[in-house]
Amino acid sequence: MDLQQFLPLSLDRINVWIGVLCTLAIYSLLYRENPLYRFFEHMYIGLAAGYSLGPLGVDILYRYWITPIWVQGQWAWAFLVPFGMYLYFIYSERYGWVSRLVIGALVGTSAGLFFQEFASRYVVQLHSTLSRPLWMSSANPEADLFGVITNWVFIIILVSVLVYFTFSYPQKGVVKNVATAGRWFLMIGLGAIFGNTVMARMALLIGRIYYLLSDWLMIRI
Amino acid sequence: MQTRGPSIWERMLSIDRRILYLLLFANIVLFLLLPIRMRAAVSPPVQKFYDEIEKLQPGDLVMISSNWSASTLAENQPQLEAVIRHLMRKKAKFTLISVEAQSRDISYRLASRLTPEGGYEYGRDWAHFGFVTNLIVSIKGMVNNLPDTIKKDVRGTPVSELPLLKGITSLRQYKMIIDVTPSATVPFWISYAPKETKILYCPTSVMAAEAYTFLDSGQIKGMITGAKGAQEYEQLLGIVGLGTRFVNAISFSHVLIILFIFLGNLALFMNRRQMRQEG
Repeated sequence: MDLQQFLPLSLDRINVWIGVLCTLAIYSLLYRENPLYRFFEHMYIGLAAGYSLGPLGVDILYRYWITPIWVQGQWAWAFLVPFGMYLYFIYSERYGWVSRLVIGALVGTSAGLFFQEFASRYVVQLHSTLSRPLWMSSANPEADLFGVITNWVFIIILVSVLVYFTFSYPQKGVVKNVATAGRWFLMIGLGAIFGNTVMARMALLIGRIYYLLSDWLMIRI
Repeated sequence: MQTRGPSIWERMLSIDRRILYLLLFANIVLFLLLPIRMRAAVSPPVQKFYDEIEKLQPGDLVMISSNWSASTLAENQPQLEAVIRHLMRKKAKFTLISVEAQSRDISYRLASRLTPEGGYEYGRDWAHFGFVTNLIVSIKGMVNNLPDTIKKDVRGTPVSELPLLKGITSLRQYKMIIDVTPSATVPFWISYAPKETKILYCPTSVMAAEAYTFLDSGQIKGMITGAKGAQEYEQLLGIVGLGTRFVNAISFSHVLIILFIFLGNLALFMNRRQMRQEG
């Protein structure tokens, strides 16, 4: 390894060394809680929040608010931000009702949008579920044995989990058994999600170790 | 009276967690440095993803929604790199958009670095729409009037003046949307994007399990799951990217964790058994 290239003597290398310092400081928590970790944790949060102000100013406020007002003369846009800022009246006991104007507008918009979202998101899934072939016949020429078995497994799991979450009647006898099966299926599903979570966290750790080896120590991987 | 020292099971149960961290660290370093690359069995969602991009014709327009930041770089960067390389191989044109502030610059820099490989030129073959705060409003706006919704690209050029978007007025004219994200953004694309536009998904591993319902119903046409999925995709493309470089370490760190879980449980049960025997 060339020492001249390794040391922080150029802007690129200074960046890498700062990255290494941040990485090691954050991972120092694994050894024990310490002030260095706390400092870098707060710095990271502050940097992330501060950084987002830049794109917010350039891509949103300048593009969608300042340009229409100052360049295109669409002065009515000037009322938009003050209207949004009415939300902060929520901290005032006397004028708290003003904030409800904004909240009302936001809730109304969200509720309206949700109708479309529900239809596009869930109705398609319901249709997909209800149109699964459960046996092989001339009416379903595309259905193969494996597909039919998979569809039965899907339907059994769907019904069991729905029964588990149905509390309108006492869960006794057969219903209780089906609900118990539903709980087991849920546990398997949650286990799969947790397994994926472990994989994601490992990938993030590997990414940082790769950075230390490849970018800092300049080892060719 | 002489007291008995702790048994091997008791010692295993009280092992310092920092030793486990150190073993994990050493394991990852070892398998990152190992020059042998394991081959993966390509999973059906990744194969579907690949097949959908293979169907693209030269000049087809693709929207890449890149919403990841530094915190999930290890999972999303290999995905985005592989996808851009594949799009360039198919001569498909693409635009990027970010609903995450950091991703605006990260994805722009990444695309700027990769596109010269395919002879791509900014404005003619690809562009970046910058950062948007509300994805739902942006999608609906782009469906109705794309140039009026986006207005300017990340370089400050009005999008209507970009040669790439000549004659493009709506998201309906895009062939495909690819969401590279650690967040739950894909339901918004599914809900508000035009139904005729295919959606492909690159989530982090954490998000992948919940997306199988969308895959199953055909709402998304393919999925690359985290760095592992990226490695499978790189294998299909015949390239060595970050996913391929990470795969040994990912696989063997899992083997180590499973071993830890097994030994921990074994120690617990054996210790209980020993205590019962001793009364």
